[in-house]
Amino acid sequence: MNWQETALDAIDDASRTPTFRSAGRTLSPRAQAWVFGCAGALVALGVWTLLSHVLATGGGVINRLPTPARVLRELEVYLAGDFPRDLLFSLRVFAIGWVVGAVCATLVGLVLGRVRLLGQIFIPVIEAIRPVSSIAWVPLAVVWFGFGLTGKVFLVGLAVFLVVIVYAVDGSRRIPPDLDRTASMLGMNGWQRFRTLVVPGTLAEVLIGSRVSLMAGWGTVIVAELVAADSGLGAHLISVEQSYDVPAVMATMLCFGLTGFLMNALFTLLERRLMPWRHVNPEDSR
Amino acid sequence: VTQQRADLRGGGQSPATLRKTEATVGRRRRFREHVVLPLVGIAIVLAGWEATVLVYNLPVVVLPSPWSVARTVLQLLGTGPFWHDVGVSLYEFAIGYTVGVILGTAVGTLMGEWRHFRLATTPVIESLRFIVPFAWIPLTILWFGTSYTGKVALVAYAVFFVMAVSTARAIANVDPILSRVGTVLGMGAWRLAWTVHLRAAAPTIASAARAGAAIGWIAVVAAEYIGASAGLGLMITNAASSLATAVVIAGMIVIGLVGAGVSALIRWVSHAYLDYR
Repeated sequence: MNWQETALDAIDDASRTPTFRSAGRTLSPRAQAWVFGCAGALVALGVWTLLSHVLATGGGVINRLPTPARVLRELEVYLAGDFPRDLLFSLRVFAIGWVVGAVCATLVGLVLGRVRLLGQIFIPVIEAIRPVSSIAWVPLAVVWFGFGLTGKVFLVGLAVFLVVIVYAVDGSRRIPPDLDRTASMLGMNGWQRFRTLVVPGTLAEVLIGSRVSLMAGWGTVIVAELVAADSGLGAHLISVEQSYDVPAVMATMLCFGLTGFLMNALFTLLERRLMPWRHVNPEDSR
Repeated sequence: VTQQRADLRGGGQSPATLRKTEATVGRRRRFREHVVLPLVGIAIVLAGWEATVLVYNLPVVVLPSPWSVARTVLQLLGTGPFWHDVGVSLYEFAIGYTVGVILGTAVGTLMGEWRHFRLATTPVIESLRFIVPFAWIPLTILWFGTSYTGKVALVAYAVFFVMAVSTARAIANVDPILSRVGTVLGMGAWRLAWTVHLRAAAPTIASAARAGAAIGWIAVVAAEYIGASAGLGLMITNAASSLATAVVIAGMIVIGLVGAGVSALIRWVSHAYLDYR
């Protein structure tokens, strides 16, 4: 579920193809990115507008495609209206489920990662459950918890748990050997070693896992709200879909994208603050 | 570490006997670790499940016992409609996945090779990428109804972004020395892209194809929850609304098995053809 893992902006051109820098180049790489990026976005918007005009008269399969301007107007209306309330509903479900899932995964991961026998017994069980995406649990959650908060929190928690547990087990096991040797040289006992080596190492990995699980959790919130549509952004999406309001559907989709983007950006920033050593590499220091 | 320890323990023995005992001990331990203990874990979970049902006297609607779920799976395997649902879901997935992989790899290759194209497409792709595929489900229903086309488009969309972004990155990360060797051998841009970059990037692209398959498969199921005329997703939502919990759980197991099977198939294909690293 980690389709947000790879980012395009990490691609580094300078090291790649051996090009001869021409002296006459006038634009800096950053300016070029801006110019070409804006041009690309404008072309995409232009094609969209053109398509909506062609399809409006011609019909075809996609018989309702509003213009970007129309979607933007709808977005304004929604942002000024019900959006804050819906967003709060969705975010509350997401936040509770995410915290519960991450905390459970950390605790279980520490136990399964450090106690060898338990790990050998139960990690295969978790591995067997993992391919069943949390989205496949949606109907079961509806049966168990009905509509409402609990079922959705359960689903998000499950989605986050299944991602973070891998990082937690890995982090609790992968203690750098030289730190381990230093610890035994300093005469640390088991508990001290656990507290000062294992727990921080695990927490660092859990933090990464939590960011990776953001999108899995957010996607689960969306599907859960689409199926058990009583409140939140997903319920709004279903209600405008049922009134065949294509511009409003697209505006709501934009809201989803925007929220996902903001969450990802926020968490990347947080990770950079909390774990600066992970980002010290030649690409960033240029 | 285990290697070192074994060496330390068997310090005085001759190398041949040491290797032999190591091999048998290793085999026995591997059997224990990979067969016995996982089975114990599954047995504990199943026993816990059964015990919960018995102790709390749960009705079948809430939680059927593992046995009745197993029976339901076997029953389902014998019915025609079930296979029809599986077939429909797999058909939608297969077409959408193929389209998404081909288009995504092509666009990703262009993005990796042609800098200006990448700069121009990055904002559009980055902003669309954050609209998770599931948010498109209502729109595909409005556009394509409950037909197969909507799901095919959804899967293709989901897979496309995974493939395009991963391919662009994989191609950009190809060892520059390979490109230089190609240039020295007189290859043009197209030849270089086709014979050097794509091949060097192929293992990464293959693992992206596996990640894409997982997303695409679950996108099909989620789309079928909301608007479909047939398919596994529809089957389990229908079962859920008629409170046939055993069928719901059986359906989840089948969804997981099919997903794992697709992933294993792609891994097998990519190992057979691409494992030259």
